[in-house]
Amino acid sequence: MLNPHPTLLAMRGITKRFPGVVALQDVSLTLGRGEVLALMGENGAGKSTLMKILGGAYQPDEGEIILGGNPTVLFNIAEAKRLGIALIHQELMLAGNLDIAGNIFLGNERAAGSSFGWLDRGGMNRRAAELLARVGLDLPPTTPVSRLTAGQMQMVEIAKALALQAHIIIMDEPTSSLTLGETRQLFKIIADLRATGMGIVYISHRMEEVLEVADRVTVLRDGRYVGDLSAQEATHEKIVSMMVGRPLSAWFPERPARAGGEVVLEAENLVVPGARAGVSFNVRRGEILGFAGLVGSGRTELMEVLFGAASARGGIMRLEGAPYLPSTTRDAISRGVYLAPEDRKRHGLVLPMSIAQNVSLPDIGNYPGGGAWLQRGAEVRVATQELERMRIKAPSVFRKVVNLSGGNQQKVVLGKWLAMRPKVLILDEPTRGIDVGAKAEIYRHMAALAAQGIAIIMVSSDMEEVLGMSDRVAVMRERRIERVLDRADATQERIASIMTGAEAA
Amino acid sequence: MRRELGMLVALVVLCMGLWWSNANFVGANNVFNTSRQISMLGILAIGSAFVIVTGGIDLSVGSMVGLTGVILAKISSTAEGGLGHPLWMGICFAMGIALAIGLIQGLLITQLNLQPFIVTLGFMLMLRGVSQTIVNGGNISFSSFGSLANASILSIHGEPILPLLMLFFLAVVIISGYLLHFTVFGRYLYAIGGNRDAAQYSGVPVKRVETITYVISAGLAGVAGICWSSYISQMDQNVGVAFELSAIAACVLGGCSLRGGEGTVFGVIIGTGLMKVIEDGLDMFRIRYHDARGILQFWHPNDNWRYIVIGAVILVAVILDQVVHIVQQHRRTRGTAAPTHPPTGGFPVQPPSEPKVGAAS
Repeated sequence: MLNPHPTLLAMRGITKRFPGVVALQDVSLTLGRGEVLALMGENGAGKSTLMKILGGAYQPDEGEIILGGNPTVLFNIAEAKRLGIALIHQELMLAGNLDIAGNIFLGNERAAGSSFGWLDRGGMNRRAAELLARVGLDLPPTTPVSRLTAGQMQMVEIAKALALQAHIIIMDEPTSSLTLGETRQLFKIIADLRATGMGIVYISHRMEEVLEVADRVTVLRDGRYVGDLSAQEATHEKIVSMMVGRPLSAWFPERPARAGGEVVLEAENLVVPGARAGVSFNVRRGEILGFAGLVGSGRTELMEVLFGAASARGGIMRLEGAPYLPSTTRDAISRGVYLAPEDRKRHGLVLPMSIAQNVSLPDIGNYPGGGAWLQRGAEVRVATQELERMRIKAPSVFRKVVNLSGGNQQKVVLGKWLAMRPKVLILDEPTRGIDVGAKAEIYRHMAALAAQGIAIIMVSSDMEEVLGMSDRVAVMRERRIERVLDRADATQERIASIMTGAEAA
Repeated sequence: MRRELGMLVALVVLCMGLWWSNANFVGANNVFNTSRQISMLGILAIGSAFVIVTGGIDLSVGSMVGLTGVILAKISSTAEGGLGHPLWMGICFAMGIALAIGLIQGLLITQLNLQPFIVTLGFMLMLRGVSQTIVNGGNISFSSFGSLANASILSIHGEPILPLLMLFFLAVVIISGYLLHFTVFGRYLYAIGGNRDAAQYSGVPVKRVETITYVISAGLAGVAGICWSSYISQMDQNVGVAFELSAIAACVLGGCSLRGGEGTVFGVIIGTGLMKVIEDGLDMFRIRYHDARGILQFWHPNDNWRYIVIGAVILVAVILDQVVHIVQQHRRTRGTAAPTHPPTGGFPVQPPSEPKVGAAS
């Protein structure tokens, strides 16, 4: 056993199935007292599912959980909490309308007698103040949570876990919205918690952080356990190769370098809502233009402007040389500019409807011979064609989209637009939450579409994807395009330094 | 369709039961009356269904029934309080008002992004007040217009059995069935109810479509109001009170979800039938028995039970529906494998030593 820490938790042979997918297959994980375990894996590798099982939110179909030496069933969230497991979600689960103390004791309030007894606010505030001191947050417990920064909220979540006398704290992407200073502060607190014998599961995509903070790394891929690395063994390259399972180059289809196609869409001084200055760029026929940038750098907002879902505050656009300024999504669609949105369940799909109904939705009003009358025959024909072209895994086009896996759902979104012959296809985080196999398929489709002369704009936070797919990379920062790099000049370090502002434009 | 068929079975069983307990249930008089009631509520409920399918709600339709009836009586009644204009003038004016108010509600909801519940609640109260102002606390006799509701298209032994109103209802059913289930417009309604944002991102003209549903709802409420004014032949300020709730209940009984995206015209017809058969049929229900002295007696349910029964039926319907839904989802998720859990253990109840986390600042 490479683990020097006495075992606090062992999960063995965990399997979890969802409709149409096996999310976890025979996964094992151990955590010792005073250990920080980093759980690594691509999006869709099963990290969140595993942690939701540990947090009591899901029940495993197979496998056992051994807590403190005893086999345990975590049949709900309350039970997991009672047994000392605290899960801190990436999107912090704090009630903004309550104060800090109210949040720390939420669901665990101190009151005289029952839930209907008088709330012991004084006692809760005193205890909350002690806990806040321990996490180094110098604020009165009566401060409304809505006034806190993301970093301060993180501290409140940790205080909440301490209030529950947690033995195990799971942190899901804790630094994703923290500043550098707040991250340092968090690491200091993690070190202190570790010293008291607490076990911490740390989930993050940021390799440097993981290498710094973790005692051990467990890697998942496609819902399976791949292996463990101790802090001494772990390197960036080793972890990535375990996560990806093959060299990166094999993922991305070979594409000839394209140059000199005519410009399809161009923007001049386009002012995105919330921006102070305009952006200018163009995208050519058959080109994939990648957009890199941090979360909040304005990429999604820019795409919404291109798609007519939001209005520009100024500037001009031209589509194939003609003025283009869509005021509604309908305008954009009628001109052949389509968006596959970042949050496909919210913006991309009508989940309770069938594949056929989703595919036809934007275009069914224009099916020939119909007028107002619904052309069900044509609808099924078009959808079947897309089902085959996109190789959507579903028994028929009448299958409801809600029952498909993430990868197949994304293929439905793409199929919907491909049926309408795009001029410009905007893909916002095209492979987020999609399993590895489907990811590679989507890359192949993108390459094929570009080869047909479609201009593709791709927004991605996945650096490998940006580098692997783009002909040119536009790097955004603070709602401006800092620089557009050619494929030859684009390296991970270069892009990272531009998008964080380290390299002046 | 599962819910609709279940309700159809319930309706048939209910009618058979009533028939068995009281042969008069299928008598010409009762059939004529009940089918008139079903026609009028059905027109109203189908209007509400358009809104409900998109995930909206229209609480103003009961007041709209009252207002259109009062306006029609005021303009066209020859009795005291009426202006004695021709009938067509009254009908056109009443319908015009109804459509205009529907449009205003729809525009307020879509253009200003107001909540449909609040907007239509406001109009429900306002329109009621306008009706009261028009009748000025009294009523307007309108017996001259009774010919519409009393007209029959089929008589058996000289007794009317199929009301003309049924034809109206049939026309509404056909047109609405076409609109909801066979047109692009109808598809858009379900898409909006299923996911408003995704519909918008697919280029569906969400605001325009939603606005139209409120116009349809108000328009059909106007039609129902005109029929109703003929049926009761005396308009006062309380006509149509709580009709919106009956209409919504009929939709829900018939399989519409108030979350939107679900519901069929067929279901709404069944739901309406159930509502009205229970409401008007309950007092026909009787059980024959012989008392201690051997004399034939009849037991009648108390008339006050009507709403208890309707309320209970609605609750049972949605509960059953949800239970079936949960069971199906459960089966789908579990697949075939049954979970095998080890016996529950637990954590040794001994908290870790009190952490001393250094305060940074």
